Formats: sequence, C-alpha cells, structure tokens
Amino acid sequence: MSITPAVQFDLHRRMVRIRLFEEAAGRLAEAAKLPGFLHLYVGEEAVASGICGALNDDDHITSTHRGHGHLVAKGGDFNRMMAELMGKSTGYCKGKGGSMHISDLSLGMLGANGIVGAGSPIAVGAAFANKYRGRGQVAVAFFGDGATNIGAFHEAANMACALHLPIVFACENNEYGEFTPRDKTMAITDIVDRAAGYGMPGVIVDGMDVIAVHEAALEAVAKARAGGGPSLIEAKTYRFYNHHGVQNLGLKYRSDDEVAKWKERDPIFTLEDRMIENKVATRQRFDDIWAELRNDIETAIKFAEDSPLPTSDQVLVDVYSANGGN
Amino acid sequence: MSTVGIIVNPNAGKDIRRLVTPATHTSDVTKVGIVRRAIVAAAESGAERILIAPDTHRLGRRAADGLDAPVEIVDEPVTGSRFDTIGAARRFWKEQVGAVIALGGDGTSRDVALGWPDAPLIAISTGTNNVYPVAVDGTSAGAAAGLVASGIVSVADVARRSKKIVVRVDDRDSSVDDVALVDLAFIDADFIGARAVRDPSTITAVVAAVATPASTGLSSIAGRIHPVDRWESGGVFVRLGAGGRRVRVPLAPGSFTTIDVAEVRPLAEGESITLSGRTILAFDGERDLAVSPDGTVTVRVESSGPLVIDVERTLVRAASALAFDHSEKDDHGH
Repeated sequence: MSITPAVQFDLHRRMVRIRLFEEAAGRLAEAAKLPGFLHLYVGEEAVASGICGALNDDDHITSTHRGHGHLVAKGGDFNRMMAELMGKSTGYCKGKGGSMHISDLSLGMLGANGIVGAGSPIAVGAAFANKYRGRGQVAVAFFGDGATNIGAFHEAANMACALHLPIVFACENNEYGEFTPRDKTMAITDIVDRAAGYGMPGVIVDGMDVIAVHEAALEAVAKARAGGGPSLIEAKTYRFYNHHGVQNLGLKYRSDDEVAKWKERDPIFTLEDRMIENKVATRQRFDDIWAELRNDIETAIKFAEDSPLPTSDQVLVDVYSANGGN
Repeated sequence: MSTVGIIVNPNAGKDIRRLVTPATHTSDVTKVGIVRRAIVAAAESGAERILIAPDTHRLGRRAADGLDAPVEIVDEPVTGSRFDTIGAARRFWKEQVGAVIALGGDGTSRDVALGWPDAPLIAISTGTNNVYPVAVDGTSAGAAAGLVASGIVSVADVARRSKKIVVRVDDRDSSVDDVALVDLAFIDADFIGARAVRDPSTITAVVAAVATPASTGLSSIAGRIHPVDRWESGGVFVRLGAGGRRVRVPLAPGSFTTIDVAEVRPLAEGESITLSGRTILAFDGERDLAVSPDGTVTVRVESSGPLVIDVERTLVRAASALAFDHSEKDDHGH
C-alpha cells in the first residue's frame, strides 16, 4: 500500500501537466487570444492529481467552472483542450463549449460546469448507473467549498447516501467562493462537518500534499468500489491566481502575505524536493519532464492556432437531438 | 487570580482513518459545545479568569459567545499548525494558569507537554484513538479545572505526574528534540502524507510509555504482549518482524490486524535506546518527521510528563469539603 516511485512520478506528471497547461492558458488570455472566461487551477494541482491517480479510465468524474485541471489529471488531450479554449473546430466541443464545458466521455470526464454545484447531481447519476451496471466503476464529484451551500449539492449528497452509491465527493476547499471568504457564507469551517448529516464518513486532507490526497483517495475509491458507499474528502487547498483570469483586476480580497504563504507550499515543488531527498529522482530528471511537457504545450498551442474556427452551418449541430433525445 | 486555560485543537477527530474504520468524527459544533460547558462549569467552580487559546476555526470564541463569564481569548499568533497549541501552553505557563483543559487527541496533549512540560492538565478526548486524553464531559472537566485553579481542591491531592517519551533525532544537518506521550513508532515510508499510519506492514518498531490491553492504536501492540500502565515507571520497546509472537491488535478503532513481533524489551525509567537509519517517525500515532539514512534516533521514557488532574477525584474531594453547598454568592448571579 505504500506509494511506489512509479506512482510518485505519475502523480508528479499529472500535476506538471496541469501547471503548464494553465500557465499557457493564462498567458494566452492575457494576450487576448482566448474568448470567454478562464478560471485557472494553478495551486490546486495536488487535489485533481491525487484523486484521478486513484481512478481507472472508465471511472467517472464531474467537474466545476475551474475544470481544466480535472480533465488534464484524468488524461485529457492538450491539443483538443487548447483548441476548445480558442473556440476552434478541433476542440473537445468542436469549439462551441469553451473552458467551462470541456469534457471527454472516453475518459469518463462528464464535463466542466459553469453552474456552481451543478456537477454533483450528475456524478450521482453516473454512480447510480455504475451501481446498476455492476462493473465496479466509481464516480467522483469535484466541487468547491462554496458549492456546498447550494441546494443541488445537498440533494446529491442525500440521494447518494440514501441509495448507497459508489461515489466520492471531493471538495476543493480553497477558502473563497469567487471573491468572498468562506466565513462570510457559512457558520462552519470544515466542510467535512456536513458529511455526517447525510450519513457518510468525511475526512480532511492537506490539499497541497499530493501524497496525502492520494492516500485518502485510494481508501475512499476502494471503499466505493467494494460497495461501501459514499465518502467525502475535503482537501484544504488554495488557488494561486485570481478567481478568474490571471491578474487581480484590482480586487484586493486576499492579502499578498496570505497568497505568498500558500505559494511556499507549492504542491509540485514540495513533492520534487521530497523525491530528490529520498533519492527516487534527480533534479535533471525533473528538468527533463518539465521540458518534455512544455514541448507538448507548445505543440498544442500551434495545433489550436492552426485549426479552423467552426463554420456557421455548425451552429445548431450537436445542440438539439435529431431523434427525440435518445 | 485563579485562572483556567482552555486549548481546543480544531483539527482533531477528522483524519483519513474515518474512511476505513468506524472512528468517531468530532465536529466543530461538538467541540464548541464541550468548551462552552467547560467555561460555564469553571466559572461556577471558582475560576476568576478563563483564558482561551485562539485557533483557526475560532472555536473558543464561538464557545464563549454570549456567555456571562470572565473569558479572554489570549493574543497569540494562529498558524494552523501544532505551534498554536505549543504557543498557547507556554503562554498559559507565563500567565500562571492553575489548570489547563485541552481538547484533542494524544497529539494535542503532546503539544501541550512541549509548550509547558509541567502543565496541570485535563485532556479531553476529541481525537481518533486516544490513550492519553479521557472521555469526560466539559461540565465535569470545567468544574474540576475551576476547583483546582482556585485552590478549593489542592492540585497535589488530585494530580499525578504522567510519563513522556523523550526523543532526540540527530540527522545530517540538524538535531531535533521532541516528545511523545503514548508511543513513538518507526515507519518504513517515504512520506508523511496523510499522517495516520495506514499500512501495518510499514511499522518496524514502537516505543510505548503507555501500553495497556485496553489501548487502541500503535501502543496496543506492546499493550497486548507486555502491558505497561500509565503510572508505572518505564516503558516498552517492540520490534516488528517474523520469528516471535503473532498478536491480534486494534491498530485503529474497530479495526483489528495481525502483527508479528520479533522482539519485546522492557525499558527502565530513563534507559536510552538508539535506532539508526532512514525512517518516518510517528509521534502518538501520526507520521510527523522524516529521518534520513544518516540519522539516529535516541529515545527514553521518563516520568516527566504533564500533571494529569483526575476529574472524578477532584469532584469527590470538593463534595467532601462541602464546596458545592449553596452560599450567599450564589444568590447574586452565580
């Protein structure tokens, strides 16, 4: 049950892929090359990576408006992601969904979601289907602290527990709902205190420590897969960039000191330091990984830039079902 | 001035062991309720001043909200780490607190012992598998603390000196001194990770100061082979591995496993034992410190832990001394 070097490298790779994709997306947004909003996942990489690293390809996840990290961690394709962000026809949603609707059903990624709290009921539906089919698949609902104040989350958690479904509720508690600190919107500090109210266990992990998140995910996913029902994992984490975009937009809702303190606990660098200390990796090996993945990002940007925009005759394609919804 | 100090660890009772065992979840509301009852009871029982350590979740402040009691939230930095408890305990020592109430697990009491080694302590269990703290309601704990702090009951009559495990780690670039109150385990792992010891096969050795067959957790390994109760001197060392006895132990609440014990060695008071090489040290059940292949860990068990106040004995003494009889002051607001 110990976390082998191969698993450590796998978790590291997932995190670096997220970091590089998001930083590239941020630069493109600043250069006005991306239409629409952009919510960057930088800082929270350990959560998506630690949890998706415990899943199989045919397990399901639902995501949030800050959803790139979840798809990347599940194995998303850089080219199709970057093309979608640029609104190109080669993108995941043929350029018509953009950042907040990105999905890949072949990877069990059931979609980012622009509506806060809306992903959890979808994950419950997937978990219900998985239980019905009986192939041992698990669903994970990613959501933020703010989403737990939304009715849809309560209904989802309640139904998942009532039906004893194979699901993990993964809360990314980054302490802010958009620009509002958590303590202005709820009277409790730990989201996990809500779990018992539905009848499921809930645990807190350090969301800046991918090993800690992964250890919790292994337990919760194994429990769900074995018919043990839902769990809630609350990962205490932090987003390094603003709610949306890269710049602060002049909204000073977090102190520089607070942001700097969280950045000291960068999940990628702390894992690298520990792996080097344990003589599992060298700095050179990590430099090579970063260089290889940077190259993938550059390729994806070029792919997206060179791809065509969707043509006007595609506006209604894939929007309405031609055969009555079946 | 008779002063009671209260520390509440907001992080206790919420770790990953709840995923695989039926361990108790202790919510913030539960903790706030215990502290609130302790405040009322301490004020009722002679405390003229109640100091509360600040915490990230503002549990102490919430507990005191609206109460007519002489409560002060002490002005100490809040870091969200164990240093909050260590700092608060040290502050309570400076403030000449007469009795400390600490809500948490074994690890919380450990941090109190670091901040104030001689603390007169009532440790209330709100953790996972607690050996050192006890399950006692805030009402009784607060009353006992108030009675001791005010001198109505003498601390010497109702408190006993507990043990601690003194740990020194000499590593490549640094040395670390630390303590545990129940057990120190050596774990074959690369990471501190989620802190709880998940995999029994990674435990290589345990030093226990308290090891009873009634314990849950790492100390239960020694407790089921060579019991050492909390008041007798010395401790016990067990090395895990094949070739010796095989015992069934509750390593976590409601969760039993078979452990192979290769060696059992009683440790006399103050007797040192040294282990070398790469390991992760788990203090009182939680992975906390990585030791490199060049490091050495020296451990001894001493009778120099906090003064543990016996709540029931305190209340019995007070009753014998007619301390609960209604007096005139009770007609004026008490």
